[in-house]
Amino acid sequence: MALKALDIYKLLPKKNCKECGDPTCLTFAMKLAGGKADVDLCPYLDDTSKTVLGATTRPPIRLVRIGVGERSFAVGEEFVLYRHEKTFYHPPGILFKVSDAHIPDEIVSVTKRVRDESFIRVGADLRFNGIAIENTSNSADTFAKSVETVEKMADLPLVLISPNADALTAALAHCGTYRPLIHAATNKNFKEMCALAKQHGCPLVIKARHLDELGQLAKDCTAEGVQDLVMDLSPASLRDFISLSTEIRQLAITRTAPDLGYPVYFDATAGGIQDAGIAIGILKYASVIVTNPLLPSSAKAALTLRQNVYTDPQKPIQMNPGLYRIGTPGKDAPVLMTVNFSLTFFTLEGYLESTRIPCFMLIVDTEGLSVLTAVASGKLNEILVRDSLIKFGVESEVSHRNLIIPGYAAPLSGRIEEATGWKVLVGPRDAAEIGEFLNEEWKK
Amino acid sequence: MGFNVRFDWTGSIGEVILGATKSDGGTRRVSYRIGGGTTLPFLDKNPSSPAPLIAFEICDNPVLWPPIIRNYCGDQVNNIQEWAKAADTTYGADMIRLYLTSTRQRNFSDIPAVGKAVETALSATSLPLIIEGSNDPKIDSDIFQKCGEVGQGERLLLGTAEASRYRSIAAAALAYNHALIAQSPIDVNLAKQLNILLREIGIQRDHIVIDPYTGTLGYGFEYSYSAMERIRFSALKGDTDLAMPMICSAPDTLTIKEVREADLDGQDDMAVKWEFYTSLAAAVAGAEIVCVRHPKTIGMLKLAFASLKNGTGSMEVR
Repeated sequence: MALKALDIYKLLPKKNCKECGDPTCLTFAMKLAGGKADVDLCPYLDDTSKTVLGATTRPPIRLVRIGVGERSFAVGEEFVLYRHEKTFYHPPGILFKVSDAHIPDEIVSVTKRVRDESFIRVGADLRFNGIAIENTSNSADTFAKSVETVEKMADLPLVLISPNADALTAALAHCGTYRPLIHAATNKNFKEMCALAKQHGCPLVIKARHLDELGQLAKDCTAEGVQDLVMDLSPASLRDFISLSTEIRQLAITRTAPDLGYPVYFDATAGGIQDAGIAIGILKYASVIVTNPLLPSSAKAALTLRQNVYTDPQKPIQMNPGLYRIGTPGKDAPVLMTVNFSLTFFTLEGYLESTRIPCFMLIVDTEGLSVLTAVASGKLNEILVRDSLIKFGVESEVSHRNLIIPGYAAPLSGRIEEATGWKVLVGPRDAAEIGEFLNEEWKK
Repeated sequence: MGFNVRFDWTGSIGEVILGATKSDGGTRRVSYRIGGGTTLPFLDKNPSSPAPLIAFEICDNPVLWPPIIRNYCGDQVNNIQEWAKAADTTYGADMIRLYLTSTRQRNFSDIPAVGKAVETALSATSLPLIIEGSNDPKIDSDIFQKCGEVGQGERLLLGTAEASRYRSIAAAALAYNHALIAQSPIDVNLAKQLNILLREIGIQRDHIVIDPYTGTLGYGFEYSYSAMERIRFSALKGDTDLAMPMICSAPDTLTIKEVREADLDGQDDMAVKWEFYTSLAAAVAGAEIVCVRHPKTIGMLKLAFASLKNGTGSMEVR
């Protein structure tokens, strides 16, 4: 049972010492209740209270950081099965896999790609997150050399994949201070692996065939002093992955199985279609996804899917209001007004580009609401349109005074004409018809 | 330890039959009974549904069809007979969805031509068909009446009913015993409302397939994904007005910027990947029919679905 903030507050020292980083014990209690803070931050709690609180207030899935510095990423701390229940907070890291049996040039080129490649959409910079180096050579030296090669080129988060503790020891000599993720501890080797993870302060993947074995292994590893764990579910198929991963998420967020409250690792390279693995991993709760380097098409689709699924559904995505240009519009180019809901913007922008008619898009601030909802709520009104025309200097950009408004904003046309002095043309409701509209109505 | 995962739902998705074989009075070689799920997609231990099914979209007037498909499929796109046949025998689709795009020209009135187009598709393939009619209230009644009549006995899936125009299509579905697609704009409540409207004029639940409207990947797909998850969830929680199978089609996919602006030799690949990621994600959210336009997407989806349905495609590497 989750405790309420006031119940938690009763167990706290009530000193308001601020040592936890919060101004008062009550605000700390509220954070604990929301699963947003760790009881260990309070230095004055006795062990009994800690145990009571720890079990119910710790985030149901532990936050684990991989790598250090700008490119490091944190995963875990998720609370829901469906994104619409709240949101998904920490997008999975997607790492390109290289083998230490590859020639160094290949390792260098993959590393460079992950270091430099980025893809901007909806104002965000989308990137892959790091390199997974697999010890297929079976040689500790070769493994360590490959790790050194990658390490010299970039400060990227790494996964070190080897069943061999000696190989990992040699590799960690190069990168141990940069929090690489070690793959993997099993019920046979967990003592050695935990010793390595502890020595270097690194997160550790635990790997087992069944959920109860994973739970036991997690217990064993935490007893050895390693808390930052990530779980490899060893799925037999994609279907098996969906099923295991969904079960674990449900068990963890309902706090039915605290020993399974860790992020999930997924190797998408195995099995039939790697693209399917990546998509399923993104959708079904994987936090660290390892894949072979991707073609540009798969790379864009995968990063876009991740961005979509991890967008906060509670906030509409917004564009900055302003005057946007399609092509190089002249003084006689049409001006099309619409809202700053990014989906509306990108849809209209796409269709306008394909008409090849240079024009202006006047994007007004409806706080991310779509045309229909902005008209209904009154956020889109003649005053906003008038102020936006002035603010973004539209009068000096064009020699005419004709404004095209969205079809769904038709009820406002008269009021906009009165408030702005511009002549209003009501455009189509569906952006797909904008080409036809411009050709027929504008060119007249 | 023995973990026992419990989800607190007891409902199930209703079943819809698409396509009629000889024994049911039709001429299709296969008939699909979709729906029936009792939990999240791909978690049913013994799923009864053959879903997800892959429907290949074709049309009777390709002027507005994505250029990339006109290039890839060549002259085929001007010939329903050949295009539908290729979709069946060469591309390996499970269903064919014929868009009567000819009806979308201004002042269209050639109703017999529409009947001919549906007839041609029915004779070109023995797969179950989806017929996508007009979207102009002025001609809806005649068009849907014609489609329904020509497909009598075949248990077509007719599209598309919307809250503002559903009577003509419903009348044709009722008169000739076809199923229909009910589309609402990415909202669980609007989907429910339309289903209630349809029920009130006599359409049985087992004749409705929900289309929650799919924004393509990167262009609002997340809204559709969540709408589908909510619909599936509400159905499992016992809301029978939402307990129908879903269909997903993201018609804008092949005209988005990423595809248009891809290198010429990488354009097909970009189109295929975009359709693949969108369709697969929709299936994971609960879509039982996914629609694609690029022939190469079908093979890729089939492999992925096989791995999801039967657990084929072993992941054991080490």
